[in-house]
Amino acid sequence: MDNLKKYNEIFMEILKIDENQLNEDLKIRSVSTWDSIGHMSLITAIEDKFDIFLETEDILGFSSYIKGIEMLKKYEVDF
Amino acid sequence: MFLNFDNKNVNKTAVVDDSGNKATYGELISFRNLFYSKIQKRTLIFILVENSLPALSGFLASVSNRIVPLLLSSNINSELLDRLINIYKPEFIWAQNNEMLNQKYANIFEYFNYVLFKTEFQDTPLYDELSLLLPTSGSTGSSKLVRHSYENLSFSAENVAELFELDENHKAIAFLPIQYTMGLSVVMSHLYAGATVLLIKSALTEKKFWDFVKDNEATSFTGVPFSFEILHKLRFFRMNLPHLKILSQGGGKLSEKLFFEFAQYARDTGKKFIATYGQTEGTARMAYLQPDFALKKIGSIGKAIPNGELSIIDAEGNTIDEPVTQGELVYKGKNVTLGYAYCSEDLVKADERLGVLKTGDLVKRDSEGYYFIIGRLSRFLKLYGFRISLDEVENLIRNHFNIECACSGTDEKMFIHITEENKSQDVLDFVIQKTNLFPDAFKIKVIAEIPKNETGKILYNDLEECG
Repeated sequence: MDNLKKYNEIFMEILKIDENQLNEDLKIRSVSTWDSIGHMSLITAIEDKFDIFLETEDILGFSSYIKGIEMLKKYEVDF
Repeated sequence: MFLNFDNKNVNKTAVVDDSGNKATYGELISFRNLFYSKIQKRTLIFILVENSLPALSGFLASVSNRIVPLLLSSNINSELLDRLINIYKPEFIWAQNNEMLNQKYANIFEYFNYVLFKTEFQDTPLYDELSLLLPTSGSTGSSKLVRHSYENLSFSAENVAELFELDENHKAIAFLPIQYTMGLSVVMSHLYAGATVLLIKSALTEKKFWDFVKDNEATSFTGVPFSFEILHKLRFFRMNLPHLKILSQGGGKLSEKLFFEFAQYARDTGKKFIATYGQTEGTARMAYLQPDFALKKIGSIGKAIPNGELSIIDAEGNTIDEPVTQGELVYKGKNVTLGYAYCSEDLVKADERLGVLKTGDLVKRDSEGYYFIIGRLSRFLKLYGFRISLDEVENLIRNHFNIECACSGTDEKMFIHITEENKSQDVLDFVIQKTNLFPDAFKIKVIAEIPKNETGKILYNDLEECG
């Protein structure tokens, strides 16, 4: 469960949102802070905190809060 | 005619957008005639722009019919739009259909999702050579506009097409907003050459952006430094883009590391990496570095564009002739805009610059005549009596540590904002060593994020607040 907590903290800090906004409705551009700058900041933070190196298709495919969790499972991050 | 439209192959595709709309050169000309039939005079129009066929068609139809557009982002907030309408009094507005405008103004005709609205204003006087107005900043709410002439637009399109050696086989990735001078330069230079413009609304970080680029076999990419940071992050060097031949950069200084990596990638894959320099005041591009020199002159903006001229002046305004020198960059050429407008009355003003632009940028020139930007002249502090460029310190730190950094401050102290706490001491030591000043002259501030606008430019005003 630590990983979920880490994952959530990244979203709350970078997108400046509350915990109750972390759900299936949170998608790229659904909040004003998740623009291309926000997207790259999320990618950088996820790579740093989970010590992984994302592939292009994952960076482009990471289009929602839920998709990010699925993506991380591929990189053997357990939730 | 504007952009040589009367000499085009009418069946050639001119514009494709990522909503699935397309137009040939012939269709753009037909639309131009339709547009004029609805307006029938020289007047002022506001265009709320997105990167789409109807928005661009409205711009092209306006300029080629001598109707003067002010291009604004379609994301503009309604208070700012109202304020600009009251200041400049446009007779028409070309915008996406929306309730707010529909309630206020008469709907004249529709084209895709765009509508021509008529306001209550008319007959705003306009200088005869005035062709186009662009805002000086995207979103800060300033009413300051740059006044372009017809000659500015044609000279810029023609000479930019020449420096990129564009022909009708090119297909440009046009994702920079077209109300932004560099985005408009991409569009105008490619249309001048009879090429195809691929208008993209989606972001570089979206899959559909790259699907559109690949499906349309795009040949050129033009981005700002932040775009190149994203490309790098997206492992761009591993993407398979065999049709892409030109990578062009403008709109600010790319880090030396990225400049080198992109120049090297271009050399190894048979593409061209072309760094350019420009400002809205110079109708975008004023200088470019020939691709063959990209690896020899890392970080340089090169030399003047064809038929333009660069020089350096000292603090008294005298031209410095010695080759190796530094000072303020001055550009001469027919793309230097007429001047600024702050209110409606300014739209009758004639040419206030006469082809000469003091850029406000501090540069150095090497023994072979290549120019390098040091920073904005206005971004200087006088610390303990020494003039220090905030931009230069920022670049030194970025290039040495490969971290994000933004400098601000007063003549008492420079504030160095970084996002990585564990680098604080190293950055401080480095700056002291580079400037030979005392530790007291600097304060390192660690912040969560460097505030930036949508094109990745640092918002220095917001920086003061989070300090």
